[in-house]
Amino acid sequence: MISRLRFDKYSALYLWALFMIVFTITQGSVFLSWTSFKLVLIDPAVFTGCLALAFLVPLATGTFDLSIGANMSMALVISATLSSEGTMPDIASMFVALFACGVAGFISGFFVVRLRVNSFIATLGMSQVITAFVLKTSSQSINDAFTDSYRNIGRHEVFGIPLFMYYLAILAIIVWYVFEHTPVGRHMFATGGNPEAARLAGLRTDRLIWGSLIASGMIAGFAGIIYGWKVGNYAQTVGPGYLFPAIAAVFFGASQLKGRPNVWGTFIALYALAWGIKGLQLTFTSNVRWIEPLFQGVSLLAAVSLASHQGVVKARKSQEAAAEEPPEPEATIDDSPAPAEIVP
Amino acid sequence: MPDVLRIEHLSKTFPGQVALSDVSVDVAAGEVHALVGQNGSGKSTLIKILAGYHQPDDDGVEAWVDEKAITLGDGQEATDAGVRFVHQDLGLVGTLNSVENIALTAGYTTGFGGRIHWRQEAQRTRDALSILGLDDIDVKAPVDSLPQSHRTSVAIARALVGWEDGASLLILDEPTATLPGEDVERLFEVIHRLRARGVSILYVSHHLDEVFELADRVTVLRDGRKIATVPVGELDHDRLVELIVGHSLEATNASDAGAASAPLLTVRGLTGDTVHGINLDVSPGEIVGIAGITGSGREDVLGLIAGQIPRDSGDVILDGTSIVSHQPRQAIDAGVAFVPAERSIRGTVGSMNVRENLSLCDVSRFFRGGRMSRKAEIGETKEWIERLSIKTSGTEAPIISLSGGNQQKVMFGKALRLTPKLLLLDEPTQGIDIGAKDQIHRLVDTASSEGVAIVVASTDTDELVRLCHRVVVMANGHVTATLTGGQIQTERIEHIQLASSRGAS
Repeated sequence: MISRLRFDKYSALYLWALFMIVFTITQGSVFLSWTSFKLVLIDPAVFTGCLALAFLVPLATGTFDLSIGANMSMALVISATLSSEGTMPDIASMFVALFACGVAGFISGFFVVRLRVNSFIATLGMSQVITAFVLKTSSQSINDAFTDSYRNIGRHEVFGIPLFMYYLAILAIIVWYVFEHTPVGRHMFATGGNPEAARLAGLRTDRLIWGSLIASGMIAGFAGIIYGWKVGNYAQTVGPGYLFPAIAAVFFGASQLKGRPNVWGTFIALYALAWGIKGLQLTFTSNVRWIEPLFQGVSLLAAVSLASHQGVVKARKSQEAAAEEPPEPEATIDDSPAPAEIVP
Repeated sequence: MPDVLRIEHLSKTFPGQVALSDVSVDVAAGEVHALVGQNGSGKSTLIKILAGYHQPDDDGVEAWVDEKAITLGDGQEATDAGVRFVHQDLGLVGTLNSVENIALTAGYTTGFGGRIHWRQEAQRTRDALSILGLDDIDVKAPVDSLPQSHRTSVAIARALVGWEDGASLLILDEPTATLPGEDVERLFEVIHRLRARGVSILYVSHHLDEVFELADRVTVLRDGRKIATVPVGELDHDRLVELIVGHSLEATNASDAGAASAPLLTVRGLTGDTVHGINLDVSPGEIVGIAGITGSGREDVLGLIAGQIPRDSGDVILDGTSIVSHQPRQAIDAGVAFVPAERSIRGTVGSMNVRENLSLCDVSRFFRGGRMSRKAEIGETKEWIERLSIKTSGTEAPIISLSGGNQQKVMFGKALRLTPKLLLLDEPTQGIDIGAKDQIHRLVDTASSEGVAIVVASTDTDELVRLCHRVVVMANGHVTATLTGGQIQTERIEHIQLASSRGAS
């Protein structure tokens, strides 16, 4: 009966429901109000959500991109600098920023694909290089770095919700579509699952990995653009602060629904946490900054443990089943008994 | 002379098969004793029981090391009694250097506060290696960066550390299986040196030259039974082959296959890895087998043809299209389908389900009107599940939930649904139960009758006999014999593959 409820696959949804019930009872109308709904929907999720998508894309191919936080900062700095100088139309400055992030992803890809550097290390290195670039080329922070006309491209509200939320939704749908409904997505997951088998099956694994890092750079850059629209200021070090929450959401989300990195699982995880955090912030009114990381950490550990535990149970079962079969020769050079050769 | 190892009445039964049946072995002090036999003869099982990896049947088995009784199947007891193993994979940690690898088992000598005496450790390592005649080795270099024969030597040195503390028998399990020729020579020197120092060695191999080069006596196993223990001096090459294979054979003549029709696949001068200049023609519908012991080049030929391993030189032409080196996609597009050996490494994507694994090579076919047609894909998957009688709970079952035989059938489906012109099968039934094996053989027959050119590389000689129209035997990277029609017999193939591995260096 309990296994029917699939706590392993839908733990975030149950958690979400739990928060809604508990905090509606304890906080009542404040928790359920439109204002608080809007705050939860837009505030924490937008940067984290966008960075999570950036992390998700290369992760599908088994590649880590830790430079997404730095890319976010870079896009913010470039777009702010170019648009405030006024030499360039607003839209153009955004595209230059995104292009720069794409180039950063391209360089990461070069190290990962061509020089076979572990992606974790390569993107960590790129992250520091990008940060250095940001610190060198800009002043520390500027208030009102963006003009209103620039900010309105993303901040303008439609049905009470700012445009950038729609952009983010479109981006999420595109990633979901590529992942689940195109051959490219299938190829990406095959590359992530077993790169050697994927390569021998004729997939161009190098291109997939390289491409996913470029995409990841640009999506991270888009997070920086959104920051400009929403906040209007910039600080050099804004990006990396969102890196860990984004990664946590992706891994929490990967334990949901499909049991592999996926778009909706990530967002479900993200929003389940956001609502929980909101409820706790309403409960403890003073000094609440500790709630967010604690909450993200605990639920990540819990959800992934639950999913792995199920995996362990399954693996044991299939091992027990396999143990009933005669032993298999382990490799070509092994000559432990192969059934057909022994039987006289 | 006293025995360092004596085993009597050793039997081992696996569910449904007898691996060892009443085997007795004795190794005299100071001798190099070779243990030989075909794949599946029980050599490895015997070694694994000594190492404690398998338990022997409780069937009157007795064993002594240095005249002291031990319990077989208890690895620690064997080690304590002075038996040392160097397994085929050596068991070294590649990123650590020689000093650290040796200390893995020997432990570190430490000083105040647990500080490691690195200088002493390095000296111990150098001493251990110089006993083996390796004075010039860089003990601080990661073992991965050393030549292969040096790696083997490090493993031997590690096994021998503390030799004076009562070690009595060194077991080398196919130490040359993956060594290139010149390294084999160097390893032989090491073994000669050890014998000169009075080390007793049990040497497992299926290279007969090595037996004649190194051993004092040889024990032959066949089908889990001990056939003989003979002083090597009383044997010649042919007699030893006869003991191993179980039949004597008249001189075998390589003969040419009467070319049936124009070849579909033409291979000329194929060279790369362990393969040195292979020519091969395969006609439509023909099944060609590739036999050869490990290291003969058998294991690399198919990968080279399919463009999966980089070639040094040579041309592969399939139906007028040249197959380029090291571009799997191009080969697939040209009509090559490959079912690789070591399925879990090169074949299946463990994180995916049956459907996704089956359609991996050309999933784009299901991309219609801007999205994947899930329905068409599931439909086709079901069709293949039925056609290949794959036992699975459904198209969405994770591939790893299937048994090995059924996973292999999925790999066959993956290859066959490409409607290939050329089907390459590397160890197609390795580690598969007999029922699934038979089904897979019938699939190969069907593909052949549909005009697909097929090449099968296999260590399972019976399988080659069952399937092939022509069998090519390889040794040392070359084709040494081609058998057709009535010449294709298990004993004959095994005879040739052993006999022609003469002069392995």
